[in-house]
Amino acid sequence: MSAEPAGAARHAAALAVEDLHVAYGQIEAVRGVSLAVPSGALVALIGANGAGKSTTLAAVSGLVRCRGRVRLDADDITRWRSSKRVAAGLVQVPEGREILATLTVEENLQLGAWHQVEHLDEGLGEVFARFPVLADRRKLAAGTLSGGEQQMLAIARALLARPRVLLLDEPSMGLAPQIVDEVFAIIERIRASGTTVLLVEQNAHRALSAADYAYVMETGEIVLEGAADELLSNPRVVEAYLGESLGG
Amino acid sequence: MQQIVNGLFLGSIYALFALGYTLVFGVLHQLNLAHQAVFMLGAFAGWVLAVSLGWPLWAAGVGAVAVGALLGLLIERIAFAPLRNRPDAHFAGLISSIALGIILVAVGLGVFGPDTQRFPPEAFPGLRFSVAGASVSLLQIVILVVAVALMLGLNWLVVSTRLGRALRAVAENERAARILGVDVERVTMATYMLSSALGAAAGMMFALAFNTIRVEMGLAVELKGLAVIIVGGLGSLPGAMVGGLILGLAEVFSIVWIGSGWRDAVAFSLLFAILFIRPQGLFGRIRVREV
Repeated sequence: MSAEPAGAARHAAALAVEDLHVAYGQIEAVRGVSLAVPSGALVALIGANGAGKSTTLAAVSGLVRCRGRVRLDADDITRWRSSKRVAAGLVQVPEGREILATLTVEENLQLGAWHQVEHLDEGLGEVFARFPVLADRRKLAAGTLSGGEQQMLAIARALLARPRVLLLDEPSMGLAPQIVDEVFAIIERIRASGTTVLLVEQNAHRALSAADYAYVMETGEIVLEGAADELLSNPRVVEAYLGESLGG
Repeated sequence: MQQIVNGLFLGSIYALFALGYTLVFGVLHQLNLAHQAVFMLGAFAGWVLAVSLGWPLWAAGVGAVAVGALLGLLIERIAFAPLRNRPDAHFAGLISSIALGIILVAVGLGVFGPDTQRFPPEAFPGLRFSVAGASVSLLQIVILVVAVALMLGLNWLVVSTRLGRALRAVAENERAARILGVDVERVTMATYMLSSALGAAAGMMFALAFNTIRVEMGLAVELKGLAVIIVGGLGSLPGAMVGGLILGLAEVFSIVWIGSGWRDAVAFSLLFAILFIRPQGLFGRIRVREV
């Protein structure tokens, strides 16, 4: 781990992961990952499919068993249940959106506010103002929404949990380019409102363009980290992750 | 007319019992085979409260439901929760719930003995009414009304409350519910408590309706309850309600038209015929199980 800047960031980190290991049976999917997300920053975690990015997020959210340490501000949350982490403001927008298709749009949003019942009405108002399409479709089964609308719902649902740290897992996956633009504009706005964001993306170019700082993950380990604009011009990153998206 | 009333009356008890099975199956994809022991112990709890402690019948009924809820918690914690992380958790839980059911029946046998217990005749209001040519006792009316009220209450809870939303979320996608911050462990416990409260209520009503309370009474309804939820469509609440009523009516009419010895044969043949026409059950959907 390159010493000084990361160490300093880790000190004021809203979210910090230290020496994280996750194993599925005999296979170790995450092998000693450490990363820090400073308060108010947008940090990206990039890497190829199967590098262990989503597993890292699952461990941070308490969905899989892990070794190592996860800290949220000053708290060691490694042993906390996932519901307690959400209540504390560590909220994930999962890969594949995980919309509850048989429930209505509104019910999905209400579930997002599970720990914020007293802020539900206010939150619904904000979300419907920001995503008018969800207001129009509030009584429809969420499964009837288009892919882009489902991604908006997944993000809106997470915002109703009033996150201090938002984990976004592959928010651009499977979406048309103009919808991806929209999603990234929303992420910028969330970050501008003071929410700390950890963004996992395969689309390295988009992620690095949006982020302040980034980590590169390969086969379960962090192999590179640095300021996002530096990584954008790092030959190793360009060759492995940006070659095609820059078009040479 | 008389037989329709009797059939609906019996069927509403089967429906309540089957709702307990289908609630757990629908939300958690687990089959709780200790449910029959809850039915029996619910009946005994109501009997002890009413006869030994002299509580009024309505209070004994409420007490039996509370005992059922506690038994549900016990079943979840003992038979299902410790096996949760096994890859074969559903099957393992099925087996351990059979074991726990046998243990609970043995405990019932040890505490209450093998004899049939009865409520004293003076415990019942003797009022009878004549409704459209059928003779109906006040007790039957009360049981039917309470059964329907419990079904409507359950439906309201599932459709319109915060807990109901969480139940449906866990039923559809447990991982997504967890990501949203729903405490899945607590929802699981609540599901078992609700399910077993209904099972105990059914047991208490069965005991009042036939005025017999025996340790084996749960075993007699176990298969019927399972048949009802399969006919209704696994995990479907309206399916369990309608399926229970159909079974109750089928039993009563086969006694009247064919003879009591043929009751189960006719009733189960009818259920078989329904499944033959609609393999997914009355309210079931053919679902693709995601892997």
